[in-house]
Amino acid sequence: MSGDNFAEKLPLAVARHIGAPGTIHDLQRLTGGANKTTWSFDADVGERQRFILQMSSIPLTAEPDPLAGVSPHLTAEEDAALMQAAVKVGVPAPRVRAVLDPADGLGSGYVTERVDGETLATRILRDDRYAAARKVMTRQCGEILATIHTIPLADAPFLKRFDPAELVAAQRKILAYRGLHLPALEWGLRWAAEHAPKNPRVTCVHGDFRLGNFIVGEEGIRLLLDWEIGQAGDPMQDLAWVCVKTWRFGGPKPVGGFGTREELFAAYEKASGHRVDPAQVRFWEAFGSVKWAVGCLGLGTRGVEEMNVERCAIGRRTEEPLWDFYNLIEGRD
Amino acid sequence: MPRSMPDSTILLKAAIKYLEEELMPTLDAYHRFKTRVTANALNIVRRELELRDDQAIAERVRLAALLGHEGDVEALSTELAERIRTGAAPLDQPGLREHLRQSLADALAINNPKWLTR
Repeated sequence: MSGDNFAEKLPLAVARHIGAPGTIHDLQRLTGGANKTTWSFDADVGERQRFILQMSSIPLTAEPDPLAGVSPHLTAEEDAALMQAAVKVGVPAPRVRAVLDPADGLGSGYVTERVDGETLATRILRDDRYAAARKVMTRQCGEILATIHTIPLADAPFLKRFDPAELVAAQRKILAYRGLHLPALEWGLRWAAEHAPKNPRVTCVHGDFRLGNFIVGEEGIRLLLDWEIGQAGDPMQDLAWVCVKTWRFGGPKPVGGFGTREELFAAYEKASGHRVDPAQVRFWEAFGSVKWAVGCLGLGTRGVEEMNVERCAIGRRTEEPLWDFYNLIEGRD
Repeated sequence: MPRSMPDSTILLKAAIKYLEEELMPTLDAYHRFKTRVTANALNIVRRELELRDDQAIAERVRLAALLGHEGDVEALSTELAERIRTGAAPLDQPGLREHLRQSLADALAINNPKWLTR
Protein backbone atom coordinates (compact mmCIF):
# COMPACT_ATOMS: atom_id res chain seq x y z
CA MET A 1 0.00 0.00 0.00
CA SER A 2 2.11 2.90 1.25
CA GLY A 3 5.75 2.14 0.58
CA ASP A 4 8.63 3.34 2.73
CA ASN A 5 8.95 6.51 0.72
CA PHE A 6 5.24 7.39 0.89
CA ALA A 7 6.16 10.54 2.82
CA GLU A 8 8.58 11.54 0.03
CA LYS A 9 6.28 10.75 -2.86
CA LEU A 10 3.11 12.43 -1.58
CA PRO A 11 4.50 16.02 -1.70
CA LEU A 12 5.78 15.40 -5.23
CA ALA A 13 2.35 14.18 -6.30
CA VAL A 14 0.63 17.15 -4.65
CA ALA A 15 3.07 19.60 -6.29
CA ARG A 16 2.58 17.92 -9.67
CA HIS A 17 -1.24 17.77 -9.63
CA ILE A 18 -2.31 20.66 -7.40
CA GLY A 19 0.46 23.18 -6.80
CA ALA A 20 4.08 23.71 -5.69
CA PRO A 21 5.84 23.31 -3.34
CA GLY A 22 3.46 20.62 -2.04
CA THR A 23 4.93 20.53 1.46
CA ILE A 24 2.80 18.26 3.68
CA HIS A 25 1.68 19.09 7.22
CA ASP A 26 -0.31 17.09 9.81
CA LEU A 27 -0.51 13.84 7.84
CA GLN A 28 -2.90 11.58 9.75
CA ARG A 29 -4.28 8.17 8.91
CA LEU A 30 -8.04 8.36 9.53
CA THR A 31 -9.28 4.88 8.63
CA GLY A 32 -7.80 1.78 7.14
CA GLY A 33 -10.19 -0.76 5.71
CA ALA A 34 -9.58 -3.86 3.65
CA ASN A 35 -10.23 -1.96 0.42
CA LYS A 36 -8.97 1.54 1.05
CA THR A 37 -7.07 3.81 3.43
CA THR A 38 -8.01 7.40 4.18
CA TRP A 39 -5.50 10.08 5.15
CA SER A 40 -5.97 13.69 6.17
CA PHE A 41 -3.32 16.33 5.57
CA ASP A 42 -2.65 19.99 4.89
CA ALA A 43 -0.35 21.07 2.06
CA ASP A 44 1.33 24.24 0.83
CA VAL A 45 0.08 24.61 -2.72
CA GLY A 46 0.67 28.36 -3.07
CA GLU A 47 -1.36 28.73 0.11
CA ARG A 48 -1.99 26.18 2.82
CA GLN A 49 -5.04 24.04 1.98
CA ARG A 50 -6.74 21.07 3.61
CA PHE A 51 -7.04 17.72 1.85
CA ILE A 52 -8.16 14.11 2.10
CA LEU A 53 -6.22 11.32 0.40
CA GLN A 54 -8.03 8.11 -0.41
CA MET A 55 -5.82 5.19 -1.45
CA SER A 56 -6.93 1.83 -2.80
CA SER A 57 -5.16 -1.20 -1.40
CA ILE A 58 -3.11 -3.27 -3.78
CA PRO A 59 -4.56 -6.80 -3.93
CA LEU A 60 -2.32 -9.22 -2.04
CA THR A 61 -2.55 -11.93 -4.69
CA ALA A 62 -2.96 -11.96 -8.43
CA GLU A 63 -5.78 -14.50 -8.08
CA PRO A 64 -9.00 -13.21 -9.58
CA ASP A 65 -11.63 -12.47 -6.95
CA PRO A 66 -14.33 -15.08 -7.59
CA LEU A 67 -16.97 -12.49 -6.78
CA ALA A 68 -15.47 -9.67 -8.88
CA GLY A 69 -18.11 -7.84 -10.87
CA VAL A 70 -20.99 -9.65 -9.16
CA SER A 71 -22.02 -6.50 -7.33
CA PRO A 72 -21.19 -2.85 -8.07
CA HIS A 73 -17.74 -1.53 -7.25
CA LEU A 74 -15.81 1.34 -8.87
CA THR A 75 -12.07 1.76 -9.28
CA ALA A 76 -10.48 4.81 -7.62
CA GLU A 77 -10.35 6.55 -11.02
CA GLU A 78 -14.04 5.87 -11.70
CA ASP A 79 -14.99 6.88 -8.17
CA ALA A 80 -13.22 10.23 -8.69
CA ALA A 81 -14.84 10.73 -12.09
CA LEU A 82 -18.30 10.06 -10.64
CA MET A 83 -17.74 12.64 -7.88
CA GLN A 84 -16.68 15.16 -10.56
CA ALA A 85 -19.86 14.43 -12.54
CA ALA A 86 -21.88 14.82 -9.33
CA VAL A 87 -20.31 18.18 -8.45
CA LYS A 88 -21.05 19.35 -12.01
CA VAL A 89 -24.83 18.98 -11.48
CA GLY A 90 -24.72 20.51 -8.00
CA VAL A 91 -24.46 17.52 -5.66
CA PRO A 92 -22.45 18.23 -2.46
CA ALA A 93 -19.83 15.59 -3.35
CA PRO A 94 -16.12 15.86 -2.47
CA ARG A 95 -14.20 18.12 -4.86
CA VAL A 96 -11.48 16.08 -6.53
CA ARG A 97 -8.15 17.92 -6.82
CA ALA A 98 -5.89 15.08 -7.97
CA VAL A 99 -6.24 11.58 -9.34
CA LEU A 100 -3.04 9.62 -8.73
CA ASP A 101 -1.40 8.07 -11.78
CA PRO A 102 1.47 5.59 -12.24
CA ALA A 103 4.05 8.42 -12.43
CA ASP A 104 3.22 9.26 -8.79
CA GLY A 105 4.34 5.79 -7.68
CA LEU A 106 1.68 5.71 -4.95
CA GLY A 107 -0.80 3.26 -6.43
CA SER A 108 -4.44 4.10 -7.13
CA GLY A 109 -6.18 6.87 -5.26
CA TYR A 110 -7.25 10.49 -5.29
CA VAL A 111 -7.03 13.72 -3.33
CA THR A 112 -10.14 15.73 -2.44
CA GLU A 113 -10.70 19.00 -0.56
CA ARG A 114 -11.31 18.39 3.13
CA VAL A 115 -14.60 19.62 4.61
CA ASP A 116 -15.13 19.99 8.36
CA GLY A 117 -18.07 18.46 10.15
CA GLU A 118 -19.44 15.44 11.95
CA THR A 119 -19.86 11.97 10.43
CA LEU A 120 -20.56 10.03 13.63
CA ALA A 121 -24.24 9.03 13.47
CA THR A 122 -24.87 8.93 17.21
CA ARG A 123 -23.66 12.53 17.64
CA ILE A 124 -25.66 13.78 14.65
CA LEU A 125 -28.79 12.09 16.02
CA ARG A 126 -28.40 13.08 19.67
CA ASP A 127 -26.25 16.20 20.20
CA ASP A 128 -28.16 19.47 20.76
CA ARG A 129 -25.64 21.07 18.45
CA TYR A 130 -27.26 19.32 15.45
CA ALA A 131 -30.90 19.99 16.43
CA ALA A 132 -31.39 22.52 13.62
CA ALA A 133 -29.58 20.24 11.15
CA ARG A 134 -31.92 17.34 12.00
CA LYS A 135 -34.91 19.51 11.05
CA VAL A 136 -33.65 20.10 7.50
CA MET A 137 -31.73 16.91 6.71
CA THR A 138 -34.74 14.93 5.45
CA ARG A 139 -35.61 17.63 2.90
CA GLN A 140 -31.92 17.83 1.96
CA CYS A 141 -31.81 14.07 1.43
CA GLY A 142 -34.73 14.29 -1.00
CA GLU A 143 -33.14 17.17 -2.88
CA ILE A 144 -29.64 15.67 -3.00
CA LEU A 145 -31.01 12.35 -4.27
CA ALA A 146 -33.12 14.10 -6.91
CA THR A 147 -29.95 15.84 -8.11
CA ILE A 148 -27.83 12.66 -8.09
CA HIS A 149 -30.48 11.02 -10.24
CA THR A 150 -30.02 13.74 -12.89
CA ILE A 151 -26.31 12.97 -13.41
CA PRO A 152 -26.17 12.17 -17.15
CA LEU A 153 -25.12 8.54 -17.59
CA ALA A 154 -23.06 9.79 -20.54
CA ASP A 155 -20.90 11.70 -18.01
CA ALA A 156 -20.23 8.44 -16.15
CA PRO A 157 -20.14 5.83 -18.95
CA PHE A 158 -18.20 3.40 -16.72
CA LEU A 159 -21.22 2.91 -14.40
CA LYS A 160 -22.41 -0.66 -14.74
CA ARG A 161 -26.13 -1.19 -15.02
CA PHE A 162 -27.63 -3.47 -12.41
CA ASP A 163 -31.29 -4.37 -12.76
CA PRO A 164 -33.18 -5.20 -9.54
CA ALA A 165 -33.18 -8.93 -10.33
CA GLU A 166 -29.41 -8.86 -10.93
CA LEU A 167 -28.81 -7.20 -7.56
CA VAL A 168 -30.87 -9.93 -5.86
CA ALA A 169 -29.01 -12.63 -7.80
CA ALA A 170 -25.69 -11.07 -6.72
CA GLN A 171 -26.52 -11.57 -3.03
CA ARG A 172 -27.52 -15.15 -3.79
CA LYS A 173 -24.12 -15.75 -5.46
CA ILE A 174 -22.24 -14.21 -2.53
CA LEU A 175 -24.12 -16.47 -0.12
CA ALA A 176 -23.46 -19.56 -2.23
CA TYR A 177 -19.77 -18.66 -2.41
CA ARG A 178 -19.65 -18.47 1.38
CA GLY A 179 -21.30 -21.90 1.57
CA LEU A 180 -23.84 -20.79 4.14
CA HIS A 181 -27.36 -22.18 4.54
CA LEU A 182 -29.73 -20.03 6.53
CA PRO A 183 -33.44 -20.68 6.01
CA ALA A 184 -34.58 -17.17 7.03
CA LEU A 185 -32.09 -15.60 4.61
CA GLU A 186 -32.99 -17.95 1.74
CA TRP A 187 -36.65 -17.07 2.27
CA GLY A 188 -35.78 -13.35 2.12
CA LEU A 189 -33.78 -13.76 -1.08
CA ARG A 190 -36.57 -15.70 -2.78
CA TRP A 191 -39.12 -13.13 -1.65
CA ALA A 192 -36.87 -10.41 -3.12
CA ALA A 193 -36.48 -12.29 -6.41
CA GLU A 194 -40.27 -12.59 -6.69
CA HIS A 195 -40.97 -8.95 -5.78
CA ALA A 196 -38.14 -7.15 -7.63
CA PRO A 197 -39.49 -4.18 -9.66
CA LYS A 198 -39.80 -4.83 -13.38
CA ASN A 199 -38.52 -2.19 -15.79
CA PRO A 200 -37.93 0.67 -13.35
CA ARG A 201 -36.55 4.05 -14.39
CA VAL A 202 -32.77 3.84 -14.76
CA THR A 203 -30.55 6.63 -13.43
CA CYS A 204 -27.21 7.12 -11.77
CA VAL A 205 -27.49 5.60 -8.27
CA HIS A 206 -25.20 6.46 -5.35
CA GLY A 207 -25.64 3.02 -3.79
CA ASP A 208 -24.55 3.85 -0.23
CA PHE A 209 -26.68 6.91 0.59
CA ARG A 210 -27.10 6.80 4.37
CA LEU A 211 -26.24 8.41 7.68
CA GLY A 212 -22.56 7.71 8.34
CA ASN A 213 -21.70 8.81 4.82
CA PHE A 214 -22.83 12.40 5.41
CA ILE A 215 -20.57 15.16 6.73
CA VAL A 216 -22.97 17.24 8.82
CA GLY A 217 -22.63 20.75 10.21
CA GLU A 218 -24.97 22.71 12.45
CA GLU A 219 -26.86 23.89 9.35
CA GLY A 220 -27.33 20.42 7.82
CA ILE A 221 -25.66 18.03 5.36
CA ARG A 222 -22.45 19.51 3.96
CA LEU A 223 -21.03 16.64 1.97
CA LEU A 224 -21.98 13.19 0.69
CA LEU A 225 -19.13 10.67 0.85
CA ASP A 226 -18.41 7.13 -0.37
CA TRP A 227 -19.30 7.00 -4.04
CA GLU A 228 -17.46 3.75 -4.75
CA ILE A 229 -20.51 1.55 -5.29
CA GLY A 230 -22.10 3.96 -7.74
CA GLN A 231 -24.07 2.22 -10.47
CA ALA A 232 -26.87 2.70 -13.00
CA GLY A 233 -30.19 1.34 -11.80
CA ASP A 234 -33.52 1.99 -10.10
CA PRO A 235 -33.18 5.35 -8.28
CA MET A 236 -35.73 4.27 -5.65
CA GLN A 237 -33.08 2.10 -3.98
CA ASP A 238 -31.29 5.28 -2.83
CA LEU A 239 -34.46 6.51 -1.09
CA ALA A 240 -34.79 3.16 0.67
CA TRP A 241 -31.20 2.52 1.84
CA VAL A 242 -31.21 5.63 4.07
CA CYS A 243 -34.30 4.15 5.80
CA VAL A 244 -32.90 0.66 6.52
CA LYS A 245 -33.14 0.25 10.27
CA THR A 246 -29.45 -0.49 10.80
CA TRP A 247 -28.66 2.97 9.37
CA ARG A 248 -31.04 4.68 11.82
CA PHE A 249 -28.44 4.00 14.53
CA GLY A 250 -31.18 3.69 17.14
CA GLY A 251 -32.87 6.96 16.11
CA PRO A 252 -36.67 6.99 16.40
CA LYS A 253 -37.69 7.94 12.84
CA PRO A 254 -37.45 5.93 9.60
CA VAL A 255 -35.24 8.23 7.48
CA GLY A 256 -31.79 7.87 9.01
CA GLY A 257 -33.33 7.97 12.48
CA PHE A 258 -34.21 11.66 11.98
CA GLY A 259 -37.06 12.01 9.44
CA THR A 260 -40.30 10.62 8.05
CA ARG A 261 -40.66 8.82 4.74
CA GLU A 262 -43.50 11.18 3.78
CA GLU A 263 -41.23 14.21 4.11
CA LEU A 264 -38.44 12.49 2.17
CA PHE A 265 -40.74 11.44 -0.66
CA ALA A 266 -42.38 14.89 -0.87
CA ALA A 267 -38.99 16.64 -1.06
CA TYR A 268 -37.82 14.18 -3.73
CA GLU A 269 -40.99 14.55 -5.78
CA LYS A 270 -40.83 18.33 -5.63
CA ALA A 271 -37.17 18.46 -6.62
CA SER A 272 -37.24 15.72 -9.27
CA GLY A 273 -40.72 15.95 -10.77
CA HIS A 274 -40.92 12.14 -10.47
CA ARG A 275 -43.60 10.48 -8.37
CA VAL A 276 -42.42 8.12 -5.64
CA ASP A 277 -44.21 4.79 -5.28
CA PRO A 278 -43.94 3.99 -1.54
CA ALA A 279 -44.42 0.26 -2.23
CA GLN A 280 -41.43 0.25 -4.58
CA VAL A 281 -39.27 2.01 -1.96
CA ARG A 282 -40.51 -0.50 0.59
CA PHE A 283 -39.28 -3.35 -1.64
CA TRP A 284 -35.82 -1.78 -1.71
CA GLU A 285 -35.87 -1.22 2.05
CA ALA A 286 -36.81 -4.89 2.60
CA PHE A 287 -34.20 -6.09 0.11
CA GLY A 288 -31.67 -3.69 1.64
CA SER A 289 -32.17 -5.44 4.97
CA VAL A 290 -31.53 -8.83 3.34
CA LYS A 291 -28.46 -7.43 1.58
CA TRP A 292 -27.08 -6.10 4.86
CA ALA A 293 -27.67 -9.52 6.47
CA VAL A 294 -25.45 -11.01 3.75
CA GLY A 295 -22.97 -8.20 4.44
CA CYS A 296 -22.86 -9.09 8.15
CA LEU A 297 -22.14 -12.71 7.27
CA GLY A 298 -19.33 -11.63 4.95
CA LEU A 299 -17.75 -9.39 7.60
CA GLY A 300 -18.14 -12.19 10.15
CA THR A 301 -16.36 -14.60 7.81
CA ARG A 302 -13.51 -12.10 7.42
CA GLY A 303 -13.44 -11.83 11.21
CA VAL A 304 -12.88 -15.57 11.46
CA GLU A 305 -10.04 -15.41 8.92
CA GLU A 306 -8.41 -12.53 10.79
CA MET A 307 -9.37 -13.76 14.31
CA ASN A 308 -10.69 -10.25 14.90
CA VAL A 309 -13.28 -10.06 17.68
CA GLU A 310 -14.95 -6.90 16.34
CA ARG A 311 -15.51 -8.39 12.88
CA CYS A 312 -16.56 -11.75 14.35
CA ALA A 313 -19.19 -9.93 16.41
CA ILE A 314 -20.62 -8.35 13.24
CA GLY A 315 -21.34 -11.88 12.00
CA ARG A 316 -23.57 -12.26 15.05
CA ARG A 317 -25.62 -9.27 13.90
CA THR A 318 -26.95 -11.09 10.83
CA GLU A 319 -30.35 -11.73 12.40
CA GLU A 320 -30.97 -8.05 13.17
CA PRO A 321 -31.66 -6.90 9.58
CA LEU A 322 -33.47 -10.18 8.87
CA TRP A 323 -35.81 -9.51 11.79
CA ASP A 324 -36.36 -6.01 10.35
CA PHE A 325 -37.05 -7.56 6.93
CA TYR A 326 -39.92 -9.70 8.25
CA ASN A 327 -41.34 -6.73 10.15
CA LEU A 328 -41.22 -4.62 6.97
CA ILE A 329 -42.97 -7.11 4.69
CA GLU A 330 -45.64 -7.62 7.35
CA GLY A 331 -46.32 -3.89 7.26
CA ARG A 332 -44.80 -3.11 10.65
CA ASP A 333 -42.54 -0.05 10.81
CA MET B 1 -22.02 -36.17 33.27
CA PRO B 2 -20.42 -34.61 36.34
CA ARG B 3 -19.90 -30.90 36.05
CA SER B 4 -17.25 -28.76 37.60
CA MET B 5 -18.10 -25.89 39.78
CA PRO B 6 -18.72 -23.00 39.33
CA ASP B 7 -20.85 -23.27 36.20
CA SER B 8 -19.33 -21.94 32.95
CA THR B 9 -21.90 -19.15 32.70
CA ILE B 10 -20.92 -17.95 36.17
CA LEU B 11 -17.23 -17.98 35.16
CA LEU B 12 -18.08 -15.85 32.15
CA LYS B 13 -20.15 -13.44 34.25
CA ALA B 14 -17.21 -12.98 36.62
CA ALA B 15 -14.79 -12.44 33.72
CA ILE B 16 -17.13 -9.88 32.10
CA LYS B 17 -17.55 -8.10 35.43
CA TYR B 18 -13.78 -7.72 35.71
CA LEU B 19 -13.47 -6.40 32.13
CA GLU B 20 -16.29 -3.91 32.50
CA GLU B 21 -15.91 -2.70 36.06
CA GLU B 22 -12.16 -2.87 36.68
CA LEU B 23 -10.25 -3.00 33.39
CA MET B 24 -12.25 -0.67 31.13
CA PRO B 25 -11.98 2.46 33.31
CA THR B 26 -8.18 2.21 33.10
CA LEU B 27 -8.00 2.05 29.28
CA ASP B 28 -7.67 4.60 26.49
CA ALA B 29 -10.56 5.10 24.08
CA TYR B 30 -9.40 2.50 21.52
CA HIS B 31 -8.85 -0.31 24.02
CA ARG B 32 -11.98 0.62 25.97
CA PHE B 33 -13.96 0.17 22.75
CA LYS B 34 -12.25 -3.13 21.92
CA THR B 35 -12.80 -4.38 25.46
CA ARG B 36 -16.48 -3.46 25.31
CA VAL B 37 -16.73 -5.46 22.05
CA THR B 38 -14.92 -8.36 23.74
CA ALA B 39 -17.22 -8.29 26.80
CA ASN B 40 -20.18 -8.24 24.42
CA ALA B 41 -18.81 -11.33 22.62
CA LEU B 42 -18.48 -13.11 25.97
CA ASN B 43 -22.04 -12.15 26.83
CA ILE B 44 -23.21 -13.75 23.57
CA VAL B 45 -21.42 -16.97 24.56
CA ARG B 46 -22.97 -16.80 28.04
CA ARG B 47 -26.51 -16.39 26.68
CA GLU B 48 -25.91 -19.17 24.15
CA LEU B 49 -24.87 -21.52 26.97
CA GLU B 50 -27.97 -20.55 28.93
CA LEU B 51 -30.54 -20.68 26.11
CA ARG B 52 -29.42 -22.73 23.15
CA ASP B 53 -30.11 -26.29 24.39
CA ASP B 54 -33.78 -25.59 25.01
CA GLN B 55 -34.07 -23.60 21.79
CA ALA B 56 -32.55 -26.46 19.76
CA ILE B 57 -35.04 -29.00 21.17
CA ALA B 58 -37.99 -26.83 20.11
CA GLU B 59 -36.37 -25.97 16.77
CA ARG B 60 -35.85 -29.65 15.93
CA VAL B 61 -39.55 -30.35 16.60
CA ARG B 62 -40.60 -27.47 14.31
CA LEU B 63 -38.17 -28.53 11.55
CA ALA B 64 -39.27 -32.17 11.68
CA ALA B 65 -42.90 -31.04 11.30
CA LEU B 66 -42.05 -28.82 8.31
CA LEU B 67 -39.86 -31.42 6.55
CA GLY B 68 -41.84 -34.54 7.48
CA HIS B 69 -38.91 -36.47 8.95
CA GLU B 70 -36.62 -36.54 11.97
CA GLY B 71 -32.94 -35.61 12.08
CA ASP B 72 -30.21 -33.55 13.66
CA VAL B 73 -31.19 -29.87 14.05
CA GLU B 74 -28.29 -28.55 11.94
CA ALA B 75 -28.91 -31.04 9.14
CA LEU B 76 -32.64 -30.35 9.15
CA SER B 77 -32.03 -26.59 9.03
CA THR B 78 -29.63 -26.92 6.09
CA GLU B 79 -32.20 -29.10 4.31
CA LEU B 80 -34.91 -26.49 4.86
CA ALA B 81 -32.62 -23.73 3.54
CA GLU B 82 -32.01 -25.83 0.44
CA ARG B 83 -35.72 -26.51 -0.06
CA ILE B 84 -36.49 -22.79 0.16
CA ARG B 85 -33.64 -21.91 -2.21
CA THR B 86 -34.67 -24.40 -4.88
CA GLY B 87 -38.37 -23.61 -4.56
CA ALA B 88 -39.25 -27.10 -3.28
CA ALA B 89 -40.77 -25.39 -0.24
CA PRO B 90 -43.32 -22.72 -1.23
CA LEU B 91 -42.81 -19.38 0.54
CA ASP B 92 -46.33 -19.63 1.95
CA GLN B 93 -46.00 -23.20 3.26
CA PRO B 94 -48.10 -23.30 6.47
CA GLY B 95 -45.96 -22.79 9.54
CA LEU B 96 -42.84 -21.84 7.57
CA ARG B 97 -42.73 -18.13 8.23
CA GLU B 98 -43.69 -18.67 11.89
CA HIS B 99 -40.76 -21.09 12.19
CA LEU B 100 -38.32 -18.63 10.56
CA ARG B 101 -39.43 -15.79 12.82
CA GLN B 102 -39.16 -17.98 15.93
CA SER B 103 -35.64 -19.05 14.92
CA LEU B 104 -34.65 -15.41 14.37
CA ALA B 105 -36.15 -14.42 17.72
CA ASP B 106 -34.18 -17.26 19.37
CA ALA B 107 -30.93 -16.10 17.72
CA LEU B 108 -31.57 -12.48 18.74
CA ALA B 109 -32.27 -13.57 22.32
CA ILE B 110 -28.66 -14.80 22.29
CA ASN B 111 -26.92 -12.26 20.04
CA ASN B 112 -28.68 -9.00 20.86
CA PRO B 113 -31.89 -9.26 22.93
CA LYS B 114 -32.42 -5.49 22.77
CA TRP B 115 -33.14 -5.70 19.02
CA LEU B 116 -36.40 -7.57 19.72
CA THR B 117 -37.92 -4.60 21.53
CA ARG B 118 -36.59 -1.79 19.35
